[in-house]
Amino acid sequence: MGNDNKRRSATLISIQDSLVRARFRDNVIMGETAEITVDGKLLQAEVLQIYPDPKNPDAGIVEMQVFEDLTGAQIGDLVEFKGTPLSVLLGPGLLTSIWDGLQNPLYKLGEQGAYLVPGMKAPALDEEKLWDFTPSVKVGDEVKGGDTIGSVPEGRLDHKILVPFSFGRCKVERIVEKKSLNITEVVAVVVDEQKVRHELKLVFRQPVKSPIPFKERIIPSKTISTGVRVIDLLAPVGYGGTVGNPGPFGAGKTVLQHSLCKYALADIIIMAACGERAGEAVEVFKDFAELDDPSTGESLMNRMCIFGNTSSMPVAAREASVFIALSVGEYYRYQGYNVILLADSTSRWAQALRERSGRQGDIPGPEAFPMDIPDQIKGMYQRAGADAGTGGSLTFIGTVSPAGGNFQEPVTQATMDATGGFWGLSQDRADAKKYPAIDPLAYTSSVYDSFIPWADRQKILQTLNEADGIDQTISTIGLKKVPVDKYVLYQKGQTIDFCVMQQDGFQKVDACTRPDRLNIINQAVQKLIDSPIAFPKNGMEDEELKESIKTKFDGLRQWWRDWNSNATSEEQIAVLPEKIEQFILQEEYAL
Amino acid sequence: MIRKEISKISEVGKALISVEGNPGVALNHVVELLNADTNQSLSFAKAINVNENFTRFQVFNGTQGLSTQTKIRMHEVPLTAGFSHNMLGRSFDGVGDVADGGPEVIFEKQVSTRLDTLNPTVRLVPKQPMWTGIPMIDVFNTLVKSQKIPIFAGPTEPYNRLLSQIAQGAQVDIIIFAGIGLKFDEYHYFKEQLSQSGNIDKTIMFTHLAGDSQIKGLMLPDVALSVAREFADEGKDVLVLLTDMTNWSNILRNVANYQDQIPSLQGYPGSLYSELARRYEVAADVEGAGSITIIGATTLESLEDPVPDNTGYITEGQFFLEKGKLKLARSLSRLKQQVNGSTRGDHRPIMTAMSSLLADAEKAHEAAEVGAANDVFSKKLLRYREDFIANMEEPFGEPIQLEAALDKCWDILRRHFEPSETGLSKKLIDEYWNK
Repeated sequence: MGNDNKRRSATLISIQDSLVRARFRDNVIMGETAEITVDGKLLQAEVLQIYPDPKNPDAGIVEMQVFEDLTGAQIGDLVEFKGTPLSVLLGPGLLTSIWDGLQNPLYKLGEQGAYLVPGMKAPALDEEKLWDFTPSVKVGDEVKGGDTIGSVPEGRLDHKILVPFSFGRCKVERIVEKKSLNITEVVAVVVDEQKVRHELKLVFRQPVKSPIPFKERIIPSKTISTGVRVIDLLAPVGYGGTVGNPGPFGAGKTVLQHSLCKYALADIIIMAACGERAGEAVEVFKDFAELDDPSTGESLMNRMCIFGNTSSMPVAAREASVFIALSVGEYYRYQGYNVILLADSTSRWAQALRERSGRQGDIPGPEAFPMDIPDQIKGMYQRAGADAGTGGSLTFIGTVSPAGGNFQEPVTQATMDATGGFWGLSQDRADAKKYPAIDPLAYTSSVYDSFIPWADRQKILQTLNEADGIDQTISTIGLKKVPVDKYVLYQKGQTIDFCVMQQDGFQKVDACTRPDRLNIINQAVQKLIDSPIAFPKNGMEDEELKESIKTKFDGLRQWWRDWNSNATSEEQIAVLPEKIEQFILQEEYAL
Repeated sequence: MIRKEISKISEVGKALISVEGNPGVALNHVVELLNADTNQSLSFAKAINVNENFTRFQVFNGTQGLSTQTKIRMHEVPLTAGFSHNMLGRSFDGVGDVADGGPEVIFEKQVSTRLDTLNPTVRLVPKQPMWTGIPMIDVFNTLVKSQKIPIFAGPTEPYNRLLSQIAQGAQVDIIIFAGIGLKFDEYHYFKEQLSQSGNIDKTIMFTHLAGDSQIKGLMLPDVALSVAREFADEGKDVLVLLTDMTNWSNILRNVANYQDQIPSLQGYPGSLYSELARRYEVAADVEGAGSITIIGATTLESLEDPVPDNTGYITEGQFFLEKGKLKLARSLSRLKQQVNGSTRGDHRPIMTAMSSLLADAEKAHEAAEVGAANDVFSKKLLRYREDFIANMEEPFGEPIQLEAALDKCWDILRRHFEPSETGLSKKLIDEYWNK
């Protein structure tokens, strides 16, 4: 380890884009952070590689990525090593925060000017805000990393104050009484087994690449109500699960993410806007603040925090932003909360790694991504999970932006391999404005439970599959050759697709479907699938009969869509299965 | 002010030069290249790779005629762009030098071309429509002030005509034209159009013609966008036209290859996405200031090409031009939902219904080509498709106001369908079908 008392430094010998090399003489630690002084401003960097100096046997060369624009950097500029890896500040005040990719609060930076310029920094959490601390340990108690020493209320959450995870066994030497204090004040003093005293505050720093441990990791078992019917019926995700959500541009990834932000039931939603459009993050924190949290009725922002490392911000910080967001998610999971992390987009994260490895001159893998990209992606998703020991969970939903919309590309493939669920968005469905454009047939997979029985789920999929097959037959050989009974099946499939799989996000009622309503819809769907329908022939030729069948289904679909957007009371909702019953019997019914 | 000079160029390549060692140049700072005998200024160059063993520069005017004797004079500042209100009505090159043969412009100030990221917190959520009089845009993909959106088109499509038509009708204070790799007749066309429509006095043109120095083309968007930002900071609504960003990306690819960078797809550098994003993200509606809207042109052979593909992930939608028509299927305005809920009540539903019917019609059309689609409804769809292409996808007709365009939509539906076939709610049908 480096000598704590001595400042360790180096001088720049090479600068290109965000990659620099520097010559050092004493010692450098792999992965540690450093500050480079450029034009009097301190820029943050991270050590990537260390190797010998061909020019000087007494020196070494360190390669670093710099998280800020290096314009003006010169040979000989000073590098100072910090001794600690890239880390995140954890503690009360995380919720409702909006940061850049390195946890600088954007509103605070905004006070320094409209543009983000290199060297701009601000404390990650509000240092003045007072928190009502209640201790839960007393002098003489033994504590270790991860143990609770007290708590503060954070909004409606009970935010536990933890001993930093890196700590071994310690004894409490001092603990403050119940009082209001800010995050810079000392709340406790503990003494470790080497008799070293440590001051604890409401906050501590956690290295972002060291996962916060589980107490008792379990397989996700409880299904999340996302409010999106196609997901909750056919591709559900459990608390603590992982989902990859790939789609070509324009297929609706962002709209789906926004919908999850608004309607998915969870204690906390973390949004890592990684290398995506700034406007989309802005929409979330400016417009969503006025929306209600579906569980509490408070402002939606009260359950959120946002990392806005958008596409024009420094590329090197993209990697950091996802890991920082993961650490925050793990921290709240450890506190016993259900957290959903939405990372948009993991492809931009992977591209940042690609840019960096290209500059470092690594031998490229497929499409020039680093050879180990599948392992890195797997490692990232593995940090999600459910914890029976704390009762908390971290669900990781990552969007993927495949080049050319081609799901065979390396990042999509690695994501399919790494995740438990897969929501593939289809260009064809998006082109046809069938939203959400998750293709229930081609790309849906899920290992999680759903709100409806497994057999029902399979039956819906089978019907959609058969209807799709008939659709292709109609397209290739024409409607004439399709028997009437098959045509009815096709119309059933069309109805399920149009009225159940598709959802109108702009209709207040239709935008979000909860499990009770979903169950009634499923009853109706199962009834529709199971029952033969005796359409009166009335002496019609086949073609004419099919036309009349289509007209009847058109009527049903129009009615059902109206039901989707209008039925709110229990009686109105209960009408759906009755309506289907009548339709099956072909009784006269009022449109 | 005496500036340090050095004269030991060790390497002269395409668009790039290197000197041995490091003369004290900082990253992205500008140097001037001078004829060693006459001291005549040959070009400016920018330091892109600074190393204790060598320093590499991008040469703005190209490297033809440079020698190992050429002198380098250090300027010790990054590239800036001159800014002045007198630039309106004038033409400049990619680094902001006068290019119309007119008198020199006295700049009021020099502005940074680094395109620093705007703090997202000062952005406003865009909520003001920009009407174009083109139904395919106004009804189906409404353009919004501060949007960034390209026209995707094959190289022979009339994309510049469409760009110019949108610009002329745009409700903005300033138009910044940024042309990269243009043919002379394209430049001339824009100039003529802007003059004829009386917009030239609120326009600044930055033009790089095909065959001009590559580095000047590479710099052009940064210079043009930096000038645009100055106007926006003054509270002006600015429209920037970027045409053609595929040309720009190809220059980026060339220069990356000259630098021996490892290519990712089709020779483009792995940074293509980030580089395009840095420019497009300048589009913004800023609290307490003006706005910048960017309409680009991206020529393509296939949507899967890296340039349109990356662009699609960056921009807020795209207008897809094919065979002279604005195609509904692949066009998208991501911001339309911000504005089309507060227009006429039928706007959103009719947009959705017609789109969905058109998708079915496209399927029927494919089926019809192999002799299927003979049933009654398929035939309706086929007739609808013809009607839609002729009346809704045509961008170059007389401008139509939104309400008239919506009425026209109902006319088309009425011509081909029964109300229940449209998927529209009963309430809307009652209100509009027999109007």
